[in-house]
Amino acid sequence: MRIRGLLSLAIATILISACVRVAGQDQPTETNGAEPATKWTAPRTPDGQPDIQGIWTNYTNTPFEVFDEKDNPALYSGDPDGAGRGTGPGFINDSFERKLTKGRSLVVDPPNGRVPIMPWAEEKRNYRLGHIQDDWVNFTPWERCITRGVPGGIFPTGYGSGYQILQGPGYVSIVYEMIHEARIIPLDGRPHVGSGIRLWNGDSRGRWEGNTLVVDITNYNDKGNLATNAASQRVRSIPQSEDLHVVERFTRVDEKTINYEVVVEDPKVYTAPWKVAMSLNREPQYELFEYACHEGNHAVPNTLSAGRAKDRAPARAGTQ
Amino acid sequence: MNWLKGASIAVVSAGLALGISQMVRQPVEGQVPDVRISRTADGKPDLNGIWQAMGTAHWDLQDHHARSGPVLELGATAAVPAGLSVVEGNEIPYQPWAAARKKENYENWLSRDPEVKCYLPGIPRATYVPYPFQILQTHNNDILMAYEYASASRIIKMGKTEPPPVDTWMGQSTGRWDGDTLVVDTIGFNDQTWFDRAGNFHSEALHVTERFTRKSPHLLDYEVTIEDPKVFTRPWKIRMPLYRRQDQNAQLMEFKCVEFVEELMYGQLRKKTGDEKPFAAARMRWP
Repeated sequence: MRIRGLLSLAIATILISACVRVAGQDQPTETNGAEPATKWTAPRTPDGQPDIQGIWTNYTNTPFEVFDEKDNPALYSGDPDGAGRGTGPGFINDSFERKLTKGRSLVVDPPNGRVPIMPWAEEKRNYRLGHIQDDWVNFTPWERCITRGVPGGIFPTGYGSGYQILQGPGYVSIVYEMIHEARIIPLDGRPHVGSGIRLWNGDSRGRWEGNTLVVDITNYNDKGNLATNAASQRVRSIPQSEDLHVVERFTRVDEKTINYEVVVEDPKVYTAPWKVAMSLNREPQYELFEYACHEGNHAVPNTLSAGRAKDRAPARAGTQ
Repeated sequence: MNWLKGASIAVVSAGLALGISQMVRQPVEGQVPDVRISRTADGKPDLNGIWQAMGTAHWDLQDHHARSGPVLELGATAAVPAGLSVVEGNEIPYQPWAAARKKENYENWLSRDPEVKCYLPGIPRATYVPYPFQILQTHNNDILMAYEYASASRIIKMGKTEPPPVDTWMGQSTGRWDGDTLVVDTIGFNDQTWFDRAGNFHSEALHVTERFTRKSPHLLDYEVTIEDPKVFTRPWKIRMPLYRRQDQNAQLMEFKCVEFVEELMYGQLRKKTGDEKPFAAARMRWP
């Protein structure tokens, strides 16, 4: 009888402690990452992550690359006749009063500030940009309203360059204003998805190294490209291969600034890895608007329609 | 056998103890929260995770029997499964003109449904389209709901917000906690989104009030009140459970469906090269 009683008590205890454990399992636990000696220490989220939350923008007048005499901005902007779209060197957004800085180039490595693109990739870009009236696949994924890509989506553009970072237990999310991406980055050390899965934006895995969020991205498809805007000049519409490997580093260095660095490696497209460094600037008053891109996409059907009109009346089109 | 009896008594005692602790901890009106519900550091029910609706509300909010699909070649694979209503009382109280419009929508589903074109789903449809969504709850602040379908998302601002500056597909969501229930008010919609694939629709006067209540670690109760005085004669409600995805490796995947509708929407404008591959759903050309 005594034994039975003890057994019952033991089972009851197990049941209750199991319930308590379930109740506590999602509770964040304190972690203490190794802190480098810096002047400013980011506050911590309850689960111990450096807090990089908030609304950030990255408007700048710094050109993407260092300009070269042989560059052809009119071609890169998709406007070989130079009649329509802007070919400005920077990422100016004059609808806000911002004090924009102008540096040499966002590309900091190689030291000459030029992306080491293989010739075949430039030829493919030239073909695509010259044939957007034939087929939507010749547009960039941004113009098709699929995605601006990773890291393309965080390269600044003329408008809609707002980003909201949110953190919850085990995750960082970056909400991109442009084409409404909500990128969710797990921090639990899980492996990348299987190599058979190919994604426009790749598969992101994050970890904290001290104050720096390091994100490793693989599993890209070969349909995307660094679909940055016309201001990105020569890099616009450069294809990506399935071997693309991207590593991003986000380090909050003070209340108002995240230093963002990205290394892009794609041995089929670039002769060497290259790196962009820029800042994300805290702008709490900035409001992210819905960018319903595909829903209002007249550019693709109108461009194709113009192409078919030219097919029907080549002589008249030639005089334009 | 006797020890089993003892164990049963222990189970009952443990259950009783749990029941008592529930009553002591959370006497919220009309709800009996589960003691196993974990909480975030700020003491709110923890809604973090990947969730998904089951059932067929995405086909039709109301009672519907099974029927054939719209594309002959797809046979049974794309036929429409039957389902019971998620609408309280089954009736959607349309004004007469709107009831006629709903019927037209139903009959012209393929050319009118924004989902066919991969357009943003709006609220509440985003919650129960047949794809998972993820809730990311920040400490004392905004809540992100990211939907796999069309990479849609919304950020629910907690507390007071300014009136929406423009109409949008996903609306402007403001959240608050009513006891252990997350209440989300959404306004500022355009009139372009639908509620399901059966043509149920609204105007830009839509006001959606959602209530997310965590019933257990793996179950959310989802109740939505829909008001639109331009389309309906009174507010009406839908209700369904949302289930936590149990897969160990669950993550939101990409469903960037624009790519899948370009042929449908722009195919007739593509320059013909003579070696086009046949498009399986060629009979569904847009419009």
